[in-house]
Amino acid sequence: MSTPEGVTISRTGEAGAFGGELLTVNFGPHHPSTHGVLRLIVDLDGEQVRSVKPVIGYLHTGIEKQMEALRWQQGVVVTDRHDYLSPPINNLAYALAVEKLLGVDVPPRANALRVIMSELTRLSSHLVWMGTSGLELGAMSMLMYCFRERDTILDMNEEISGFRMHTSYIRPGGVMADATPRFLEMLEAFIRAMPGHVDEYEELLTMNPIWRSRTIGIGRLSAEDAKVLGATGPMLRGSGVAWDLRRAIPYSGYEDYDFEVATSDLCDCYGRYLVRIKEMRESVKILRQALDRLPDGPVNVDDRKILPPPREELETSMEAVIHHFKLFTEGYSVPPGDVYVAVESGRGENGCYVVSDGTHKPRRVKFRSASFVNLQALERMALNHMIADMIAIIGTADAVLGDVDR
Amino acid sequence: MISENLILDRGVSAGDAWMTVDPADIRQALSTLKDGGYRLLVFLTCVDHLVDASRSFPARYELVYELRDMDKPEHLRVRAFVDGDPPRIDSVHDLFPPANWEERETYDMFGVVFNDHPDLTRILMPDDWVGHPLRRDYPVGGEVVEFSEEHEIWQTAPDKA
Repeated sequence: MSTPEGVTISRTGEAGAFGGELLTVNFGPHHPSTHGVLRLIVDLDGEQVRSVKPVIGYLHTGIEKQMEALRWQQGVVVTDRHDYLSPPINNLAYALAVEKLLGVDVPPRANALRVIMSELTRLSSHLVWMGTSGLELGAMSMLMYCFRERDTILDMNEEISGFRMHTSYIRPGGVMADATPRFLEMLEAFIRAMPGHVDEYEELLTMNPIWRSRTIGIGRLSAEDAKVLGATGPMLRGSGVAWDLRRAIPYSGYEDYDFEVATSDLCDCYGRYLVRIKEMRESVKILRQALDRLPDGPVNVDDRKILPPPREELETSMEAVIHHFKLFTEGYSVPPGDVYVAVESGRGENGCYVVSDGTHKPRRVKFRSASFVNLQALERMALNHMIADMIAIIGTADAVLGDVDR
Repeated sequence: MISENLILDRGVSAGDAWMTVDPADIRQALSTLKDGGYRLLVFLTCVDHLVDASRSFPARYELVYELRDMDKPEHLRVRAFVDGDPPRIDSVHDLFPPANWEERETYDMFGVVFNDHPDLTRILMPDDWVGHPLRRDYPVGGEVVEFSEEHEIWQTAPDKA
């Protein structure tokens, strides 16, 4: 990309529409509102945006390369870290892909726990989005309110998996451990309290004149543009397209839950905000159903070739010792082939394309990240808006830069 | 729909339908599929099949185009095998706008050159990076630690970067 070398402002010499000339301005990479390190090279005519060129790669960590060097079960830990605001959903995409290649189905209780963790993650991801976007657009208290509930979710993560953020909870073959009684109590209390909290956020923002004037009519993306640019998630639903992978291509038993796909026809930043608020309410609805109907039974497939035997079997069974030894030295092998599985994360389609060459390590793992594709729509949304509106537009695109750069 | 003589091979892998086309026909194949309803390019990537003994492949690099018909909904994976140094294939950025960055990423990581791409530069790695990290013969841990003695030697990029 032709970038002005080390220069933050340069004059192109081109005449603008208001009698001045165009300026090329470097926006980021350390601007606080870029949610990570996103650099935008913006051509400005006065205060109006004439072109936007995102420059990415500052958070590239080589996750896809690392996956090739790790055994199948070790890769789960790495998947946590690309979209660092929704680790269990990343785990889920990878686990489903590996399971599809192996041809195993997880027990119903594992599916229900996966749904519970996915929805909690969606909530916490939307809470981070709303807190930081509120902060950027002048609603300072949003951050306090949203992080209060997010902390409850992190407490639940800790209770069920031992980790607050990078849980590695969902693994090929099932989940890490069964839910504890205390987790179920915390979840029950959370489900009761959360609708009231969402009402609080709405009281703070939905009719807030500053919030409305900064988001309504800003960053328009028509339904046709959103589809052509490949946008997914709240970006697409905020443009009025009712496309949700949980409904369109159900996985993990989502077809059994009763929920609405949130959409908004406003096609602007405010519409995307309304979609996320609605999604939070729907997530709570799904959590309620999942908790009420949580089936009993095992949480892992009963297959010693994929998952280690229980600790007590090791003392009595030679077979169990052999399986245990094989799994922790070599790992398991996955039949040759390739598979793509997509799940709906808070940001859109979070997919995992896995190629196996029949060995105990993947040949190739590609993460299809929603943020990477959604970010390409930035220029379409920002064109001819004021530079200050870029903050709202980047905010509601909700790109996680770890997910963009992987 | 797509004419049969474009398809070299087809099958189902773990429940996903796929077809292989000649890399020279990739634009024609993808545009007929797009007219047939597969309007979304979910992702585009490359797989390096260097010394993969599990199956036989016509060439080292496999370009993978995952298409989706959002109305049905249905998936289709289109493969094209390319070889050469650098491997080359036609760009599809004008058929599917999301392919623009995906092709840049594939160029960055595998060194696959997309003909007629408007801005085929590195996207994730630094502009002066040497090599294509996701190729199978690119070692893990091959990069140099900055500000070490080793770094002094490596800072000067080889002539044939």
